[in-house]
Amino acid sequence: MLSRRFILAAGAAALSFPAMAWAQAGGEKKFVLVILRGGLDGLSALAPVGDPDYARVRRQLALDNPLRLDAMYALHPRLVHFQELYQARELLPVHACATAYRERSHFDAQNVLETGAPRPFGRDSGWLNAALAADANARGRERGVALSAQAPLVLRGPAPVATWSPSALPAPSSDTLTRLLSLYERTDPALATALQGAMNANALADEADMSGAGAARAPSALARVAANFLKQADGPTAAVLELTGWDTHTNQTGEQGPLARNLRALDDGLAALKDELGPTWRNTVVLIATEFGRTAAPNGGGGTDHGTAAAAFLAGGAIAGGRVHADWPGLAQSALYEGRDLRPTTDLRALIKGVLADHLRISNAALETTIFPDSGAVRALPGLLRA
Amino acid sequence: MPDLEAAAIAANRFGYGAHPNELRAIAADPRGWLKAQFSRTSPPPPEIAALPAGEDDLLAFGRWIAARRLRNGNGERIERQAERQGVSDEELRMLSTEEDFIRTFRQRAVAAIGARISAAITTDTPARERAVHFWSNHFTVSAAKPAAVALPPSFEREAIRPHVASRFADMLLASTKHPGMLVYLDNWQSIGPNSPMAQRREGRPRAGGFNRPTGLNENLAREILELHTLGVGGGYGQADVQALAAVITGWTYDRPRLREYITDTPGTRSGAELFRFEQAAHEPGAHTLLGRAYAEDGVAQGERALADIAAHPSTARFVATKLARHYIADDPPAAAISRIAARFAASGGDLRETMEAVIDSPEAWTPQLSKFKRPEEYAISALRAANLRELPPGAAAAAIGAMGQRVYAAPGPDGWSDRAESWLSADLVYKRIEFAQTYSERIARADVDAVAIGEQVLGPMFSAESRQAVSRAESPAQALALLFASPEFQRR
Repeated sequence: MLSRRFILAAGAAALSFPAMAWAQAGGEKKFVLVILRGGLDGLSALAPVGDPDYARVRRQLALDNPLRLDAMYALHPRLVHFQELYQARELLPVHACATAYRERSHFDAQNVLETGAPRPFGRDSGWLNAALAADANARGRERGVALSAQAPLVLRGPAPVATWSPSALPAPSSDTLTRLLSLYERTDPALATALQGAMNANALADEADMSGAGAARAPSALARVAANFLKQADGPTAAVLELTGWDTHTNQTGEQGPLARNLRALDDGLAALKDELGPTWRNTVVLIATEFGRTAAPNGGGGTDHGTAAAAFLAGGAIAGGRVHADWPGLAQSALYEGRDLRPTTDLRALIKGVLADHLRISNAALETTIFPDSGAVRALPGLLRA
Repeated sequence: MPDLEAAAIAANRFGYGAHPNELRAIAADPRGWLKAQFSRTSPPPPEIAALPAGEDDLLAFGRWIAARRLRNGNGERIERQAERQGVSDEELRMLSTEEDFIRTFRQRAVAAIGARISAAITTDTPARERAVHFWSNHFTVSAAKPAAVALPPSFEREAIRPHVASRFADMLLASTKHPGMLVYLDNWQSIGPNSPMAQRREGRPRAGGFNRPTGLNENLAREILELHTLGVGGGYGQADVQALAAVITGWTYDRPRLREYITDTPGTRSGAELFRFEQAAHEPGAHTLLGRAYAEDGVAQGERALADIAAHPSTARFVATKLARHYIADDPPAAAISRIAARFAASGGDLRETMEAVIDSPEAWTPQLSKFKRPEEYAISALRAANLRELPPGAAAAAIGAMGQRVYAAPGPDGWSDRAESWLSADLVYKRIEFAQTYSERIARADVDAVAIGEQVLGPMFSAESRQAVSRAESPAQALALLFASPEFQRR
């Protein structure tokens, strides 16, 4: 156990040692949740190019140069790392997937996505925290970490969690921090623990390889920080990243459009996470999910409006990937939900349950009650993980 | 004998921290200084009084959202409204190109937050401001819900502020009738299943794929019982939630018409004046709530039910517990809760008398710093200590948001947590230190004496260790930063 002072004196360099030692030990299971806030256009991210109605319905939104996965599905051309992972059997795209929510409010939909309750505002804590609380193997003092100033709803609950976020304000000088830590240690242990935790977290964040990451808030930068939290000795089991800007009501197409930009950032973020996790990637599952999908057809502004089912992605060394999981509902007018949206055929909770059960070994009893309340009828999807 | 310790407690535990040189004046009679701030009526601070009326906020928001929908090619609903209301395409184009509206709306939100913070910094009745903020957090209306984004400031000013030294029942009624609350907790969409409106809508096709609300929406009724009055375990069940939801069906507000967005008439009515009882949406009949029957009587049915809920013993206990948690300790002593609850009940829910019971609690005057300031309290007390009276608009709000508390945008209807564990996390403590350093650098000049400021605003609470750390700082800015980051400045 390193003393506080030693970490303080030696700074970031001291922390890489336990991380490496842990990686060699082979390590425990890790889970990363990436929330895409605003409603991902799943038909752009994972295009059903083999559907007979695809070109007719999608019109100008039909992809140029899609990255083919199989006869039916292709990735958006910006998702080049996704394609590599797919070829390495470390990516499992899922289509026509939705939560239990069937209306079209971001606010309510994100609430359902995060609480795991069947209705908006069913409770004020999240399914991931409940899962971490139920995880008998969790070792870290903090079970989860959010790469945001405050833990998102999905990570709120009884299990202790950490937060870290890049700051808009200039960093205090190390001299000021040293003086404060010394004052806190003499007079206020709770503040001392908090400040020490922040200094450790900042050291981990500094340790991440930021070359080429761009801004501190870029997904790839945050992914590297998340990886450093996860791979440290007794680090948290789960990390949550939140990406905003998916509410593409307008001008969705184009090389430099907002959707292409966001997808590239997501793609870079996933690659950075894998790179920074190193050997821990082997024991990691990443879930990328959104609150709802968007309308199947473009609207008058070249974008799409709030819809229902979307695509989700599982990635990681622990995933049995290289295939698309979908009970494809089709894009024919009669197949669309309420005549406008991709019809949901896979319950997102079934997907998450499958991961939590097989990866974190969470009991079915917990999955049906504390994690996803009133979800007995939603069976865990089997076979998502590498045997 | 002036009591500086009691003065420091009065200023910090009950107020927003002291201005330099304020403690000596308070020390003559700390309890009296606090009680004098709760006169029955008091005009709002000038910054707050200058803000536009609730109706104007609604209009600004309506313009903004309509313009945004049209711009985003998501304007079918607006276009249908235009057709119904006889608004021409040309007029509609005016709306969609009027970028001013959008800018105005943003500025309006920033101005309202700035006014709240500025009033708290400059006021001579900081304990009253704290109470206003306590109650507007108790009755949370949050900009985190997009439909309510414009409404928290006028809700606070119109439904909360007038009642902080009068009756709880009046505040409950004002809150429940304000458009802010009616929108935030969806009651304007609640339609009695047996009401004429529901019958009319039955079988009518849905337009544009949007779901029309057709039944009871229990959201507001549930939160009234759970968060505003009785509290969890306060003796109500699901049937009571449904009964309350039924008796307040038809409680809605005058929604602005599209034409008003375009003609740009300023809205002058307060939120309270916008309340409307819509008989057609009201669920007819008698309902039994908490064992009492309420006969059909239009809006009076719900008013009577709310008056009885406000007078319920569980409400006294729930409100007393929240007050004691806010002013005394995260886990407040049972004796203090009982005394405050008894005074609340005996006075018929008189909030001035209830506040006096909190002030008279001996548990509130112990020198242990039992509370960790929330980010907004923390920032305001630092700015008061520095005697910084003017801030660039938006700067303080951004800083407080970075410390984890977005003003007027609590994550849920239960408002901001009043427990240290929610705020004393690594990341949030670090961001407080960043705030302390950033503002100290902005404020500190060579002649700023941080030790003297510490003595002036913390009095005997300024510990020997902190005083030593501040006095040994390498620069005036670092000294001030250490003062603001010291434990006794972050706690109260």
